[in-house]
Amino acid sequence: MPATHERTANRPLTTRPKRRSTGPAAREPHRPRHTRRADGRGPWPYLLIAPAVLGMLYLLVYPLARTVLISFQDFGLRELILGDPKFVGFDNYRTLLSDPRFWEVVGRTFFFMAVNVVLIMTLSTLVALMIERLGRFGRTAVLSALVLTWAMPVIAATTVFQWLFHSEFGIVNWALKELGFSSFDRYPWFAHGPAAFTILVVLVVWQSVPFAAITLYSALTTVPTELYESARLDGASGPRIFRSITFPVVRPIFMLVLSLEVIWTFKAFVQIWVTTNGGPGDATTILPVYAVQMALSSQRYDLGSAASLVTVLLMSGVLVLYFRQMFRQEDEAS
Amino acid sequence: MSSRGEPVKLRLLAGVSVLVMTAGLSACSDSSDSSGDGSSGGRTTIDVWLMRDSVSAEFQKEFVAGFEADHPDIDVKVQVQEWDGIGQKVTAALASNDAPDVIETGNTQVAQYAQSGGLLDFSDKVADLGGKDWLKGLAEPGAYQGKQYGIPYYAANRVVIYRTDLFDKAGVDPAAIKTRDQWIDATKKLNKGGTQGIYLPGQMWYALAGFVWDEGGELATESGGTWKGALDSPEALRGMEFYQRLQALGKGPRDSDEAEPPQAEVMAKGQVAQVISTPGGAQVVVENNPELKGKLGFFPIPGKTADTPGAVFTGGSDLVVPMVSTKQDAAYTFIKELTGDAWQKKLAVAMSYVPNKTTLADAVAADPGAAAMAVGAAVGRATPNTPGWAAVEAKNPIKDYMTAVLTGGDAADQAATASEAITTAMKSGS
Amino acid sequence: MTTTRPRIRRLPLNAAAVITVVVCLFPVYWMATTAFKPGRDIQSDNPALLPRTWTLDHFRAAVDADGFGLFWRNSILVTLTAVLLSLLVALGAAFAVARMRWRGRRQFMLMVFIAQMAPWESLIIPVYIISRDTHMLDRLPTLTLVYFMMTLPFTIVVLRGFIGTIPPELEESAQVDGCTRLGAFRHVAFPLLAPGLMATSLFGYITAWNEFTYANFLIIKQQDNRTLPVWLSSFQNVFGTDWGATMAASTLFAVPALVVFLLLQRHVTSGFAAGAVKG
Repeated sequence: MPATHERTANRPLTTRPKRRSTGPAAREPHRPRHTRRADGRGPWPYLLIAPAVLGMLYLLVYPLARTVLISFQDFGLRELILGDPKFVGFDNYRTLLSDPRFWEVVGRTFFFMAVNVVLIMTLSTLVALMIERLGRFGRTAVLSALVLTWAMPVIAATTVFQWLFHSEFGIVNWALKELGFSSFDRYPWFAHGPAAFTILVVLVVWQSVPFAAITLYSALTTVPTELYESARLDGASGPRIFRSITFPVVRPIFMLVLSLEVIWTFKAFVQIWVTTNGGPGDATTILPVYAVQMALSSQRYDLGSAASLVTVLLMSGVLVLYFRQMFRQEDEAS
Repeated sequence: MSSRGEPVKLRLLAGVSVLVMTAGLSACSDSSDSSGDGSSGGRTTIDVWLMRDSVSAEFQKEFVAGFEADHPDIDVKVQVQEWDGIGQKVTAALASNDAPDVIETGNTQVAQYAQSGGLLDFSDKVADLGGKDWLKGLAEPGAYQGKQYGIPYYAANRVVIYRTDLFDKAGVDPAAIKTRDQWIDATKKLNKGGTQGIYLPGQMWYALAGFVWDEGGELATESGGTWKGALDSPEALRGMEFYQRLQALGKGPRDSDEAEPPQAEVMAKGQVAQVISTPGGAQVVVENNPELKGKLGFFPIPGKTADTPGAVFTGGSDLVVPMVSTKQDAAYTFIKELTGDAWQKKLAVAMSYVPNKTTLADAVAADPGAAAMAVGAAVGRATPNTPGWAAVEAKNPIKDYMTAVLTGGDAADQAATASEAITTAMKSGS
Repeated sequence: MTTTRPRIRRLPLNAAAVITVVVCLFPVYWMATTAFKPGRDIQSDNPALLPRTWTLDHFRAAVDADGFGLFWRNSILVTLTAVLLSLLVALGAAFAVARMRWRGRRQFMLMVFIAQMAPWESLIIPVYIISRDTHMLDRLPTLTLVYFMMTLPFTIVVLRGFIGTIPPELEESAQVDGCTRLGAFRHVAFPLLAPGLMATSLFGYITAWNEFTYANFLIIKQQDNRTLPVWLSSFQNVFGTDWGATMAASTLFAVPALVVFLLLQRHVTSGFAAGAVKG
């Protein structure tokens, strides 16, 4: 196929113009291509995005606007049922931001996110690289295992984790005891803040690695084998090949997965809610848990909305670097 | 939201009599009501929400058949609701245009729904329903600011379920256990070899509440309209101290409640001499291990002194009617029948419940579990009757407190922390 | 090269693979075996890796639950529609973003990313109010649309990433050969997108298949419109949860994901085999 050759040659340029090993000069010959592709003017692009935009406007922007509205109202169960909420200005935000507990929760959320994201990205990159090197059978086995992990219903996964770490009947305490760590006899994992936090990290990482690893592996399959071969002929070492060939190609997908994992761990909720309810004390309460405690348990939908909107703002703050990079990349590409 | 408020307000003005009018207003969403032949020929179909396993399938069938025979103009469609997420579900129903007509809800949940204005006020019907004999533990939580929204449906409270064979072997006479000290002594005798004297998980906070009440303490106290957690009072601390002594006489996990793992399944394994449970739990034990059939007995939770039984939390359900129901008359007929004496007696016998009226207590005299329960029900208590309490249960700092103390924390410090958490939760939820 | 050396060199790799599989599958395995254990053995002082006695009671209880067939039908309907709809819509949008230059492209991508961050736990109240006021409560299309929107931003973002890794030259050369622009995309780029399509459709499927809160909140009175996650939570009563039945149900519940994956995987490998990548 003639396409293959061309594709191989251009690969690192199209995906990652910024940091490629071939040097900036190599980009110039391809400039004409981009100008030729500027044919996207006219109605086509707008027609293609129209369904997505319309859907988002009605199903997301509109409800989001209502959430903003609710966050400026006195909106509890009564207002949900009878209507006629009162406008209270910034009262909810004032209540929220002056609550010292809220700021503790914010700090904990960032910590939780950072720990999880680092672990998820490291482990899933390693797993993806491993899958790529496996034979056909091994690859299918590992991929199937990942998919099953991913598909295991959250309620079952969280319950099983609770069982594994159960103080009296858990297999973890049993195994530790058998191995001679008698201090773990009846050790109540969920009664200690740091222990409960750790278990939740393990759970979230365990549930998140499959998606990240499968996606990264998919991206790895698009790295042309010729590149590896020529690098190996040049005598490049494994880590060096990864740094200068593999990573530049998968970098966009890697960054994408990274940003998604930031969002998802920031929003991790079900696992925590089912396992610890945010406890013991507040040890595992992160922002979404806090928001739901407000909204659904205390029926303060106004405070819950305000907390969620603050969460979105904080998240955007984390991802602003990613956006900037994404746009810079786009600017160079066009 | 204005389209929401209108029908409700109209109904408030015009009262229940203008059913036709309100039905017209929300007719556009009424398509679901047609379910079968219901709405034709002057018959009304009412939707009733009952909780999963709160009544047996046989009783439900018998009652519905009996009711429809007596009221040929009403069809009853029972929908069984799941426990998981029920709070949100009821909220969604109350706020919708097309709510069910009768909802079973936990007695302690009524206040928050009543406060929101989503429930029909039954104050003028109390006499008609025989309200003067209602169990306090059901009727009081069903009322909010002097108005009756929840109609008592059934009650159940905790008793001690014990293994008759293990008691015999240890030479303990359950009938002689009348005080807490005797209870502890007996349990110590049972707690030998492979047998656990009692399986008491660390977070059974309803049991703790009973011990606290026995000592004269409270979960929370009100003064001047604001509620404060009260677990740090000396009385409440004594309650916790007793819980800790009792809990140590078995291998109950200190960091989970009776549902995790289900204690009936633990007892079914055969090494547990006693559990604290509603009598219905015995049936689950036997289902899991048929060999224990006939080997389970019941006695009321002992009090501090021999003359008063231990205080217990009265659990149970009330029936409520959403404001938006378009068939409030038929719903009332249904409630009157189900909470009336005839069916209450049958229900109590079928399900080992305490009937909703003190005058009906004899109905279950022949049932040892229900009889033990009735002793406790006489001194039954409820959690603080305020909308804010639901927020406490949602987060439940009491459970954290119990685990902290049982795993070696300082009781007074932990109690202060927990009381503060209760205060905060009640404030945020009201 | 001798035959033993690569085998020894592959040893750490294979060991890592085995460890990965074990770590991933242990909780899954625990779920599945629990489904076969009698109730009182489920949580026990000395946990057993294999059930001491096997029972099918839990599966029976799970399958006998009220409305079992209806729940499956509803879930399949809602999930498939939502996933296909979002794939279709996202493919168009991702193509426009990755391959065309137009005013507002940046704003569009920013919007998609913000959509990705949407706080769905809090959006439930406005979504509920809007559905109520438009008489869309209790209806499956409402749920379908919500799931469509939950997965759409992700699908756009990921597909855009994958389209970005396919060199436009491939399509251009096809266009030179006489294909139309879209035809070139369909015949040349589409097969290369298979891994991306797999990742996104699996994601959409798992999201929609597992979602409980909206299913619980938006389907109120029409019990016939409830979906499978509600079934999963139906084994709870006042005495606790029947975990055996819950795990049996969860096992049945997870099986379709594996089937979907195995089906899709064949297409993915055939896409590779077409020579476009390995070449």
